[in-house]
Amino acid sequence: MGAPRAPLEPPTPEQSAFLERAMSQYGKATYNFAFRLTNNEADARDLTQDAFIRVYRAWRSFEPGTSFLSWIYRIVTNLYRDELRRRKGRFHEEIPEDNAPQAFRGERPLATNPIDDYVDRQIGEPLSRALADLSPDQRQVVILADIEEYSYQEIAEIMGCSIGTVRSRLHRARALLRRLVERAQQQQQR
Amino acid sequence: MIEHLSNDLIVDFVHGELEPAADARAHAHLVTCATCTSEVNAERTLREFLRDAAVASEREMPSGINAAIWEQIRAAKPGPFAALTSLFKPMIAIPVAAVLLAGGYFATAATHHESPSIAASYYLQAHAVQSSQGPLSERTGAIRAAVAEAYDGGYPATAAYGAAR
Ligand SMILES: [Zn+2]
Repeated sequence: MGAPRAPLEPPTPEQSAFLERAMSQYGKATYNFAFRLTNNEADARDLTQDAFIRVYRAWRSFEPGTSFLSWIYRIVTNLYRDELRRRKGRFHEEIPEDNAPQAFRGERPLATNPIDDYVDRQIGEPLSRALADLSPDQRQVVILADIEEYSYQEIAEIMGCSIGTVRSRLHRARALLRRLVERAQQQQQR
Repeated sequence: MIEHLSNDLIVDFVHGELEPAADARAHAHLVTCATCTSEVNAERTLREFLRDAAVASEREMPSGINAAIWEQIRAAKPGPFAALTSLFKPMIAIPVAAVLLAGGYFATAATHHESPSIAASYYLQAHAVQSSQGPLSERTGAIRAAVAEAYDGGYPATAAYGAAR
């Protein structure tokens, strides 16, 4: 981690309470969002950490009554984009064996619901691989639209682009996903 | 000859993003068209699979992250003017601070300072009720300009993500 460009001020009690609560309530969601974007633990960890530092700095500009998650997703998105630009390419995308999601290792003790079970065995893995094959922008649009269930308008605000751009990225991403998943399913049936 | 719904239109339809008139036309077409209906079902299924796969692969946040964030905050040293400028954010901070410094009124200013914050953590708590309803998404309506402000507004670029990587 680099040193902050500007010094951080010591926390006031309110600021500390805000950060504490934000981390305990939204830390997991933020980390999972970052992980889905980057597909690896180290980058997800750094992104999450930097996002909360930014929340700490900017806590007064959080508007009560608005969605904190949308706010921090926007922050994560911007940090991720900056980092992509800095690296001029993709994040190192790999899922180390140790940290692979449990569901994909066939170790989940109880399939609580048949759909989950089906998803894990039949489509979960091809799907997560297909997601990883999308461009960062396409992947993010799919995550926000289909997993987080934001509207196009909300996604446009989070990603800082037009609704038309959201729409066309989603169209392309979905067409690609369907092709990738269908191919994977055909292979499994053989 | 019937014109089928385009793939793009079906994606928008499944995401509930069609204008009312277009949405009604799509519905009317789907009643009569098995081909498009099966396309819609395929898109819906993909959406469900994406969500189920996401739920199944959800992770806990590594415990070290919290500590690392606090560590970074504690380790930070305030700049010489940080305390002063933070007191006068609503005003034009530097000139005022300079005047006060020159006049030696720093202590007076500090005692008169009142935090403009509303108990923001209270609002976060209120939000938690909504967010606890679903594991992944928080449905809370519009994001306002504050989103942009938080990222760009007035704050020097933060921890410079990965700057020294
Ligand atoms: Zn049709």
